[in-house]
Amino acid sequence: MIIEAHGLRKTFHAKRGRGKTEEVEAVRGIDLEVQKGEIFAALGPNGAGKTTTVRMLATFIAPTAGTARVAGFDVVKEAAKVRENIGYVSQAGGVDENNPGIDQLLLAGRIAGLSKKQALARADELLAAFSLTEIARRPARTLSGGQKRRFSIALGLVTAPPLVFLDEPTTGLDPQNRANLWDEVRALRDRGTSVLLTTHYLDEADALCDRLVIIDHGTVVAEGTPSSLKKEVAGDVVTLKLKGVDEAAEVLRAQSYVKEVRTEEGLLRAYLDDGEHGLPHLLRVLEERDLTLESISLDRATLDDVFLRHTGRSLRDAA
Amino acid sequence: MIRQTSLFLGYELRFLLRNPVWPLFGIMQPVLYLLFFAPLLGRTTASGSMPEVLAMFTPGSMMMIALFGSLFAGFGMINETRNGVLERLAVSPAWPPAIILGRVAKDMLVLVIQAILVMGVAMLMGLRIGLPAFLIMLLLMAVTGLFAASLSYGLALAIKDENGVSQLVQFFAMPLTLIAGLFLPVSLGPDWLQTLARFNPLYYGVEAGRSLFRGDLGDSTIPIAFALLIGLALITMVWSMRSLRRLAS
Ligand SMILES: Nc1ncnc2c1ncn2[C@@H]1O[C@H](COP(=O)(O)OP(=O)(O)OP(=O)(O)O)[C@@H](O)[C@H]1O
Ligand SMILES: [Mg+2]
Repeated sequence: MIIEAHGLRKTFHAKRGRGKTEEVEAVRGIDLEVQKGEIFAALGPNGAGKTTTVRMLATFIAPTAGTARVAGFDVVKEAAKVRENIGYVSQAGGVDENNPGIDQLLLAGRIAGLSKKQALARADELLAAFSLTEIARRPARTLSGGQKRRFSIALGLVTAPPLVFLDEPTTGLDPQNRANLWDEVRALRDRGTSVLLTTHYLDEADALCDRLVIIDHGTVVAEGTPSSLKKEVAGDVVTLKLKGVDEAAEVLRAQSYVKEVRTEEGLLRAYLDDGEHGLPHLLRVLEERDLTLESISLDRATLDDVFLRHTGRSLRDAA
Repeated sequence: MIRQTSLFLGYELRFLLRNPVWPLFGIMQPVLYLLFFAPLLGRTTASGSMPEVLAMFTPGSMMMIALFGSLFAGFGMINETRNGVLERLAVSPAWPPAIILGRVAKDMLVLVIQAILVMGVAMLMGLRIGLPAFLIMLLLMAVTGLFAASLSYGLALAIKDENGVSQLVQFFAMPLTLIAGLFLPVSLGPDWLQTLARFNPLYYGVEAGRSLFRGDLGDSTIPIAFALLIGLALITMVWSMRSLRRLAS
């Protein structure tokens, strides 16, 4: 186990002006277990508490309550040991705008104990891996958002740590670079590195991680592999747009092949194990009741449906 | 620890070497004062000769670079509290004090170089001082820089807001300048002003400088200034390191 957290909590006391403070319960009791060598994702909407959780695990902030061991060391009592074993790429990136990326890579290597020669070799390696060699000597403020993001990830990998935290690593990347980064993260796993990443994107968690937790309002609402989570909800979703949603829901709930029905503002979602075969039946029943459809679609269930099931909200709306 | 501090110092110096003009702007203000204000001060000294005026005025103008330069050193760090640079360094294997010590060392160095240039200009204008006085003055500037820069980093890390820090620094800089007798010795003023000045660490710095430039190396203001500035530097240094640890809240 590379990460083991029990009952992590963080309450902030945010200033609200005129001396008043407001209590913000950012994380309200999170348990996490990440195995060595796996890619683990924390999926959740804005403000769910992902960054706060990662910051506690990376020793940037101390938990209000609970304990966590990272790479075998306690995050509070043995923070220095934890720091020797992790790479941390914050959501903000942490690239110094005024200096060239190469200088920052070299400094990061040297403060971790590398010699000048080793630091230079490691920097060259990372620059090549992230196609940054050409722009390594430009002040970082002249780089594009995506280039900066790649530098920030390279900075987190300088020490070749056994565990890397990536807080929203693909935000702001174009599809090409996003795919490249996914490959890079998978390559990390192939080399035995464990990765904890956070994301808002369902497809990212789905495509990339071995296991994930879904976080909402500071707690874990679901945990498992992407496929086991999706199995919780039926395999296919039929989304219907029509008038008389409530009546249609009632009718469909009575059908044996429909596992579950959810409605929201003129939309109806019916969960079916076998969409291709269930759909014709479903259409016939609606027609018998004279319920006319405006539109219909059949999709595979996604992690969004898992989120919806656990929170009653869609992840797309939750933010 | 020394290795870590020098690594951060090296990083800062490389930046400085790429952009060497900015610190030169910093000495424009004291040099202009030397050129255009010092000549007006002929009647404030006993003999009224230029070397004597310069011995009185130069230390004050040097303290001015510390006040209006080093006190703003922390400004660049405010952005780094938000863009993740300090967050990254805080959880890196770096020895945390080195993050601040490296920068403070750079600011000290900049201030000492600026001080040499200002003294050079004053000497061209006729100032005469001995080598020991010159070297002790540089040391005095170094500890002033140590204090001013760590105060600045402390403010930056505690307040984390450009507006707040610049207002606060401006707010303190002006009265401290006047009450230290930066331009004219407070001994020319009334008793209440002289009493007030004794609560201003900068006053001792300026007075120590004047004693040095007069060649009066045994004057009591010199050890007092060193003790005071080093003491204050240590306090503000500890404070800024604490603020760095509490960055997230
Ligand atoms: N330093 C702080 N002071 C006060 N409140 C905070 C602080 N940091 C975070 N919060 C609050 O804690 C909650 C969780 O924030 P957090 O940054 O962990 O969310 P997140 O899941 O990372 O969101 P996002 O996807 O937007 O990055 C939010 O309501 C936020 O306002
Ligand atoms: Mg976040």
